[in-house]
Amino acid sequence: MINSVRNTVLSILNKNNYGYISPSDFNLFAKQAQLEIFEEYFSKYNDIVNMQNVRRSGSEYGDELKAIEEAMEVFSRVSHLTRSSSNNYFLPSIVTTGDDYYLLNKVSCYTDKLSTGTNTGISVNFLVDSAANFITDGIEEDDIVANDDTGGVAVVLEVSSATTLLLSDDIFQSTGEEYSIYDESTVSESEKVNHNRIDMLKQSLLTAPSNKYPIYVQNSTTLKVYPKTINSAGQVWSQYFRYPSDPKWTYITLISGEPAFDQTQPDYKDFELPMDDEYKLIAKILQYSGISIREADVYTFAKREELEQSQQSQTTK
Amino acid sequence: MAYLSEYNYYTNNGVAPEDANWGSYQYVSLYDIVNNFQLMYTGNNSLVNNEDRYKIIFHAKRGIQELNYDAFKEIKVLELDVTENLRFVLPPDFVNWVRVSLYLDGLLRPMTENIQVLSSNAYLQDNKGNILFDVNGNILKPENSNIDMDRLKGTKKDIYLNPGNMFDGLEGWNIDGTWYFDYALGARFGLNTSTANINPTFAIDKKKGVINFNSDMANKICILEYISDGMEAGDDSQVLVNKLFEKYIYAYINYEILNSKLGVQEYIVARARKERGALLRNAKIRMSNIHPSRLLMAMRGRDKWIK
Repeated sequence: MINSVRNTVLSILNKNNYGYISPSDFNLFAKQAQLEIFEEYFSKYNDIVNMQNVRRSGSEYGDELKAIEEAMEVFSRVSHLTRSSSNNYFLPSIVTTGDDYYLLNKVSCYTDKLSTGTNTGISVNFLVDSAANFITDGIEEDDIVANDDTGGVAVVLEVSSATTLLLSDDIFQSTGEEYSIYDESTVSESEKVNHNRIDMLKQSLLTAPSNKYPIYVQNSTTLKVYPKTINSAGQVWSQYFRYPSDPKWTYITLISGEPAFDQTQPDYKDFELPMDDEYKLIAKILQYSGISIREADVYTFAKREELEQSQQSQTTK
Repeated sequence: MAYLSEYNYYTNNGVAPEDANWGSYQYVSLYDIVNNFQLMYTGNNSLVNNEDRYKIIFHAKRGIQELNYDAFKEIKVLELDVTENLRFVLPPDFVNWVRVSLYLDGLLRPMTENIQVLSSNAYLQDNKGNILFDVNGNILKPENSNIDMDRLKGTKKDIYLNPGNMFDGLEGWNIDGTWYFDYALGARFGLNTSTANINPTFAIDKKKGVINFNSDMANKICILEYISDGMEAGDDSQVLVNKLFEKYIYAYINYEILNSKLGVQEYIVARARKERGALLRNAKIRMSNIHPSRLLMAMRGRDKWIK
């Protein structure tokens, strides 16, 4: 989609010889435009819910909520949170989960420990413990294995034998590493509470956090889970919305100096928005381009286009 | 929570205690209630939205406590020996008592609550009546007050009841099972009917958390029937609600949240309140379990000849 967007933008800009934007400028504008549209999803989601509540939204093919949820859920991720210390866990980030998060939608905890032990052998993607009996411990597929020494987490793919589990990741690098296995089916969703509520909640007989009803408070880079017994690697995971990856229009330079699109470049990255948002991307990039090349007409044209589209969608509601 | 297999129900899958699941189908757990309420009654298109889960848990537990106080009829029973100190320490989950009985000769003998004072605090005083303090300014107290000592020694008067006996209804002293009376002089002023029972009497000291008995009760077995609040010492996994009250609990939570939420129209609150009340009445009627065979047994006495 990125090449089509760029061609359209250039075509509009070149129509009246307004000017030309370089690939690096285009990439910068494309990133900003994508981010703006991405953030609009969340406010639009809220608008649609409000429309539904006043019975002004259709169902089936007229179900706008479904469409916007699909667009948003492209950015949904589920990751185990890396333990920082005691009952503190790092929030999703490039370093810990590979993504910066936009919205932490849900934090859940595994509270039912099925088995613990120390591995006695090393084999790629396997947990080997000759002293264990994974079958009588009730270990099943999809249960969670955590390396308590390194913090690595993997999912059980197969119970190969009473002493061996096939894992989704290679989390054991040497023998003598301690592990814990959690029941994947016993999940307690943790509720976010404000800092000014946490002490009162902890002291309340009726609402004190428990394994069934854990809570957490959020700090700048970590979250703290209660009860404090939830304090091991692999026990906490979250579902969050990540930021979209930066789009990058990549090219090869031809002899004439004109850049030609080349999507085989390793840093190539297309837009992550659905096709029906292409016109919005074009309008927004044109606005940035109009400012960049100091052409008020381009900016005004793009802004008007955007407004018209917006009004059109409002009148259909 | 998933349904249990029949094998699991009867044997707990062979794991002790094997009777753990017996009768469990009558109940729905707190976890299920909160989970179902969040699924079915909260959310974007529901009356209740943007509500913290801890508030739902709070109202669910409060509703369960209220039901335990009267509607559930979940009566707990505890048997303890009453020793020479004539005291029965209330159980940790005690909220109110239903009946206190003496267990003697294989029979339960319900005891009467003694509304007269059986026990008292006391302060130490000098011979001028001044209260004595320690170096920290705290009042000095004896181990037992005089009234407690008399009760423990059996030197406190009780009423002797034994119809046909010449001492019936007289006040006397029960010491080691033998009754002693004053020489009857003057008039008798009638029977105190509130304590007129041949069995020992008791008084509950709620603040101290004990039941005090008179001296007849020494070295005897007491059975306490009581109600709790159903919170199971904070173990949420053990908090249960009879299924007959499941819908009521949802209505209770719904009402409590709507009632305390800003900006909810009064007619919506009134609707929720009515639903809650109606469901409670329904559930109580179901719980009373009136059915023909029970009525029949009671009605069989209608033709009985009364001499």
